[in-house]
Amino acid sequence: MSAGSEFMKSLRSGRFTISGEIDPPRDANPQEVVEQVEALREHVVAANVTDNPIGNVIMCTLATCVIMMQHGLEPIYQATCRDRNRIALQSDAIGAAALGIKNVLALTGDHPRMGKSRDAKPVFDLDSVLLTKMFSTLRSGRNLSGEELSHAPGFHIGVGMSPGVEPIEAEVIKLEKKIEAGAEFVQTQCIYDEKVLERLREATSHLDVPILPGIAPLRSVGMAKFMLANVPGISIPDELLRRLESSRDLTETAIDIAAELVSAVKDYGFPGVHIMPVGMHMHVGEIISRSGVR
Amino acid sequence: MIHTRHKPLEEILQMLSGRKVALLGCGGCVAFYRTGGAAQVRELAERLRGHVEVVALGVSNRQCYLCREDELSELGSADRIRKIARELEGFDRLEEAEAVLSLACGVGVQNLAELLELPVYPAQNTLFMGRRRVEGDFDIELCAGCGDCVLGYTGGICPVTKCSKSLMNGPCGGVFNGLCEVSRATGEEIPCAWVEIYRRLKKLNRLQEMRRIREPRSHAASGIPRRVRVQEEAE
Repeated sequence: MSAGSEFMKSLRSGRFTISGEIDPPRDANPQEVVEQVEALREHVVAANVTDNPIGNVIMCTLATCVIMMQHGLEPIYQATCRDRNRIALQSDAIGAAALGIKNVLALTGDHPRMGKSRDAKPVFDLDSVLLTKMFSTLRSGRNLSGEELSHAPGFHIGVGMSPGVEPIEAEVIKLEKKIEAGAEFVQTQCIYDEKVLERLREATSHLDVPILPGIAPLRSVGMAKFMLANVPGISIPDELLRRLESSRDLTETAIDIAAELVSAVKDYGFPGVHIMPVGMHMHVGEIISRSGVR
Repeated sequence: MIHTRHKPLEEILQMLSGRKVALLGCGGCVAFYRTGGAAQVRELAERLRGHVEVVALGVSNRQCYLCREDELSELGSADRIRKIARELEGFDRLEEAEAVLSLACGVGVQNLAELLELPVYPAQNTLFMGRRRVEGDFDIELCAGCGDCVLGYTGGICPVTKCSKSLMNGPCGGVFNGLCEVSRATGEEIPCAWVEIYRRLKKLNRLQEMRRIREPRSHAASGIPRRVRVQEEAE
């Protein structure tokens, strides 16, 4: 059963499709979600909701998705295997479908040692391939215990991919398994280097699913250096670092660089782009407008 | 083999709370790795001197398998120790012992505790099943005893123990220069199990093993206290 999300409709229509990302707040203030939604709503078809990145506790994905829908932005519900076993993952997925969520993204999740909850028990009962399969099993009208669901959740299932990691063949094998398990779209880790876009295109040319390269604005040299040290497989050309170093208006430079990357994504023939605003939600409209993709 | 590490002296002293103690080492894994054999029993007795009274020292052949229970049924704790252990020192004073401190792994400690009428305390923390690296700089965990061995599909490298997330279907996006993402948090160089598996399978020309989706592991066999009926296993 298909959910017919706006996001999937857009991808299937052949329009260049842009997804965004909402960062759920640490506290219980829904307004912090609403502000991000209002900044993105006119510019993206749908937006991902992160699931406690690096294990730092924030508002749950489900609640954030509901707030988004109440304010007119279609959510892409990110689920990770770090904190939930197959019971909780299925239960949340069924609840998400009942609340009207139509897109899900299956991820492994960071190890809890990476963040502020380092003593937490890592779960990883499933992995990203098996979580993808879990979503498609539910969609087919059964749960993992084999029970029939008369009202199956009709998700569109997405997965992640890191185009910069080595060995790329192992990463591609895993992506192929995710597609075999039922993935319908792919969003990648952030990319700053056209060489990585080229590599992504070559490595996945045999795959018949829409791939949306991830773009995140670089707000400062400090952020760039942090990402180089902490985000696996990332590469940032020296030229971008120099532009940030000599910039007189970092926001302007960040928007320009992000816009150029979005434009490059389209030039490389990808069907859309996934923009992770990392705090620059207010500027996403400008990034898209300067990119000229519309 | 089973790897252990000594508990801090303060914790041992707290457990013993001034009681007269007999020390029992083990001739198995802990002797091989020099954490709980005869020499370490003597060293620990030396460290305890002045804090508690050590009345006797001994080493059993294997604390994980001591002897048939019916062979001991008529004996008191002191005689049981005489029967299961080789004397290093002071076995004539065993009747004075108010507690036993075992240098074996958790299996040995539990065996002793079941066998003796004295309280038995662990001198070590039991860490894992593994081996010492040939370079000798690390002991590494190799088997989690998960009850559902996948080594046949992973080039003989265990993703249950060697992947921080025990993933079944390939590397996660956290792999960084061939290292596990957790390396960035701990500062240790922990190799990514799935990069190792990928390289091994590729070398063996068995990469097709990695292309198959491996189903979720069953935890039905490991989430409860496990037992194996000896008769069935022998058949």
